[in-house]
Amino acid sequence: MFGHYLALGVRHLRRNPVLTALMVVTLGVGVAASMATLTVLRAMSGDPIPHKSDRLFAPRVDIRPDDASDPDPEPPLQLAYRDAVALHGARRGVRQTVLYGVAPAIDPGRPDLPPFFSNGIAVHADFFAMFDVPFVKGGAWSADDDTRGGRVVVVRQSLATRLFGSAEPIGQSVKLRDRDYVVTGVVADAWDPLPRFYRQIGGQGAFTGMEDVYVPFATAIAAELDQNGSTSCYNSGDNDVPGFEGLKQSQCVWLQLWVELASAGDAAAYRDFLAGYMAEQRKLGRFPRGDNYRLHDVMGWLDANQVVAEDSRLQTYVAFGFLLVCLVNTIGLMLAKFTARRGEIGVRRALGARRLAVFQQHLIEAGVIGLVGGAVGLVLTLGFLWLIGRQSTQLAVLARMDWVMFAATFALAIVASLLAGLLPTWRAMQVQPALQLKSQ
Amino acid sequence: MHLHPILSALLRSKTGAALIVAQVALTLAIVCNALFVIDARLATAARPSGVDDAGVFQLTYYGIGTIPDPAAMMQRDLEVLKAIPGVIAAADVNSFPISRSGWNMGLSADPTRAESVIGAGVYFSGESVVDAFGLRLVEGRDFEPADVRELTARNGNLQADTVILSRHLARQLLPDEATVVGKTIHLGAGADAHPMRVVGVVDTLMSSSGQASPDAHRAFILPVRYFSDRAQYAVRTAPADRARVMAEAEKALTALRKDRVLTNHRSMSEIRETRYRQENAGANMLIAVVVGLLVVTAGGIVGVSSIWVSQRRKQIGVRRALGARRSDILRYFLSENLLITTTGIVLGVGLALGLNQYLVSHVELARLPSGYIVAGVPAMWALGVIAVLGPAWRAAAVPPAVATRTT
Amino acid sequence: MLVMKNLSKVYRTAMIETHALRGFDIHVREGEFVAVTGPSGSGKTTFLNIAGLLEEFTSGEYHLDGKDVRGLGDDARSRLRNEKLGFIFQGFNLIPDLDLYQNVEVPLRYRGLGRAERRTRIEEALAQVGLASRMRHYPAELSGGQQQRVAIARALAGKPRVLLADEPTGNLDSQMARSVLELLEEINAGGTTILMVTHDPELAARAKRNVHIIDGQVSDLVHEPVLRAVDAAAAP
Repeated sequence: MFGHYLALGVRHLRRNPVLTALMVVTLGVGVAASMATLTVLRAMSGDPIPHKSDRLFAPRVDIRPDDASDPDPEPPLQLAYRDAVALHGARRGVRQTVLYGVAPAIDPGRPDLPPFFSNGIAVHADFFAMFDVPFVKGGAWSADDDTRGGRVVVVRQSLATRLFGSAEPIGQSVKLRDRDYVVTGVVADAWDPLPRFYRQIGGQGAFTGMEDVYVPFATAIAAELDQNGSTSCYNSGDNDVPGFEGLKQSQCVWLQLWVELASAGDAAAYRDFLAGYMAEQRKLGRFPRGDNYRLHDVMGWLDANQVVAEDSRLQTYVAFGFLLVCLVNTIGLMLAKFTARRGEIGVRRALGARRLAVFQQHLIEAGVIGLVGGAVGLVLTLGFLWLIGRQSTQLAVLARMDWVMFAATFALAIVASLLAGLLPTWRAMQVQPALQLKSQ
Repeated sequence: MHLHPILSALLRSKTGAALIVAQVALTLAIVCNALFVIDARLATAARPSGVDDAGVFQLTYYGIGTIPDPAAMMQRDLEVLKAIPGVIAAADVNSFPISRSGWNMGLSADPTRAESVIGAGVYFSGESVVDAFGLRLVEGRDFEPADVRELTARNGNLQADTVILSRHLARQLLPDEATVVGKTIHLGAGADAHPMRVVGVVDTLMSSSGQASPDAHRAFILPVRYFSDRAQYAVRTAPADRARVMAEAEKALTALRKDRVLTNHRSMSEIRETRYRQENAGANMLIAVVVGLLVVTAGGIVGVSSIWVSQRRKQIGVRRALGARRSDILRYFLSENLLITTTGIVLGVGLALGLNQYLVSHVELARLPSGYIVAGVPAMWALGVIAVLGPAWRAAAVPPAVATRTT
Repeated sequence: MLVMKNLSKVYRTAMIETHALRGFDIHVREGEFVAVTGPSGSGKTTFLNIAGLLEEFTSGEYHLDGKDVRGLGDDARSRLRNEKLGFIFQGFNLIPDLDLYQNVEVPLRYRGLGRAERRTRIEEALAQVGLASRMRHYPAELSGGQQQRVAIARALAGKPRVLLADEPTGNLDSQMARSVLELLEEINAGGTTILMVTHDPELAARAKRNVHIIDGQVSDLVHEPVLRAVDAAAAP
């Protein structure tokens, strides 16, 4: 009977094309708005590294002076050089890396390719294993290069192609800011985690361009590669020593530390370690605000950085409100449609249809409306995604359709339509079998 | 208006009426809040930054390595820029308003009280920022060459003895003073606070972050020429000349040296567009939803009313046969519609306030001003009437002969 | 076949109580062709609705084909209707969206018959009413008399025990009415019990037995004495 009811549903839709169009478009628009905003929200708030996100941690310590000028209870998001290096040096956890953004100029030394600025980060060798960065060629630099600050670099696939064409990139030289660096590995272009959770604030934001250059931390410090990101200084005495050296010695924060622990349970021990470090430093007169530290796993870090834009959340709420109104509208239209068909239902009942049969027939008809509404909704979703993507380059990246969303759009449309159809179908079920049908 | 029979007729077809009521209520609630958000977003995007948007552009170069002669570089660059025909003013500058990249420093009126420090955006240049940005001085004067300090990036503190404040910042620092020119304020607070004399106040100047709150208007200017590996200039022209001058300036400066790369070359209009892209597009998205809501609700009223009219054809025919005029039938359906939409509106007002309350606590939204509800109510009434006009007209057109037909 | 004893049907609203049927007794035997007559408001429509399991009754007994229908649930009644009864309405009540084949098919689908079986029955039924050649046409393309014949085919396809007809010729001109009546007589000759409600005395005269209803009670005019005797003999 399912196939028969399906055919009946389609037939009924064709009978009154205006009413059908009204129902289908209404449902489609509501579904489209909701799916588009939900997709963006989901992409923004998803876990970028689910199998590990509870084992990767970023500490924050409160370096600010204890005056009322900054009442925010949260410590700064970044660390000062002194603290980053000290915490890293304590060798806690399975792997660690300090991290800061750099943008060294690359001089390819070719007349056809003038110098340009790259987008990069200075990291320890552990970085690549910690964040499961895939290589297409070679790998990270050696532990020796990592400690001594060797002149080595890892580049991204697209940069390697731009610089070397089809030639073998491993072992080639790249001139970063007057010095030559040897390429030890090439990172796959496919590595494109959104949001860029590991360098949230070092760069231009959570969803913008991927870095193409990875420089050993020790090397970047030795070469005094300027930070490409934000620096916050809390003491006016911070500028006494000039230049990069002054920056290292100051209380300005411009670095991040990531630690990989063996298991999520080890976080408590690391917290104790942080507290102990701060207590020790307080004896030297630092950390005047006391024991104010944080230790975030990946999701906590994203939260602290407020990756999910308020506006996106608001837009999602509004879109679902819209869907609700569309649903109510669809209920009304379906109810009107089924009511107009009371006569036919009465005849069918008289001829032996049970209430269940009437229920099945009309619910399936609602499902057909949902299916067609889903198709309309799919097309409209693309429109909404385009609208959302115009808000920023970040959102343009996120506002994309994938297979999950494709299926979800249809699913939402059908479920919504079935829900909307419950009341009208229940009403249809109540129609008494009748010989006299014109008694309206 | 014969309310009673209309009411009792409606109560018999409760569900259809209830659904319209629900739609009207939900739509009113969502539309009021959405319009509020749209207005707020568009208002943020319309704020003047203080800069002459149509006439100013940015030009930035970064040294590939260390620049050996930054002072000479800057001098030469400025000479070349000022020589281009059409250039009204040019200045080396550290950042641009609402460009999302810049410096923030704290100022205090009373350096002994650290909590009185106010963070503000800072602009510094060896030339006139007021001229290069096209700012408007409302008190005092611009800097003179004697005020200018020089600073190399890798040594020393950023400070000067004179400062120009934005009006908003001046009022916050020295609220009790009628005039602030000549007064002293400090960079920072405590023992290291550096005193500065206010020489001028500009009408409007926004910080580089250009955030939505009024704090974005906290900004000040220091007469400091800053030498680093970066050469960044603000150039102002007449709006008609800007495109040409932009191209010429880039060509001229690029030709001067080979040891640097062009990293930024955009007009103030572009900077503004980038900064407010989210507000504008977000507002557009919400506008699309608002329009959609109104259309859907109107469509629903049209649909349900049409069905009611066709269901009651015989009844209408009987009424006409008994002496009702067309206008009576029209009035009947309009009254019925008004009753339904009014119920929906009453519910909708409560829903709008409730929704607003929810949004205030879960998303950054302010309280809904009553003006939106006051405007929304007649709008929904109008929507209802317009939507029901078609079906009501058709109802009025039902001929009295229908009464006697057996169906 | 169809036995009602002391049946009554009361309609209650907030203010009024209407006794549509009171102390109603009737016994229709297998193979009978009964015409039910009476003035408007007499209760013949109510009687037909109850006989057709379309409405419940307030008190009394009703046995259909030996089965006591009192207290049966909605599902059971639907099944009984589908299997044992056939309906012919005054207003034809064909479903306009479906063609003749599909219209006749409706009750068969609810019975759950297989496709081949349905096809056989439909073709047979349409042939019996003389409309097999127009199987794929739509009701709107047919005349009133033809539509009524399709309705009859629909009723027949289920091989019902009793055919219930409500003013089957009410909307037809005299020629079409005659042909429909002939068809009904043919069907009755084949053994199907027919219960026909009509206000047309000419039509009633064609039936073999007349039952007259006045004020909700049976007044079995024509064959009354004979039946009484037979009743006494057949009463369980």
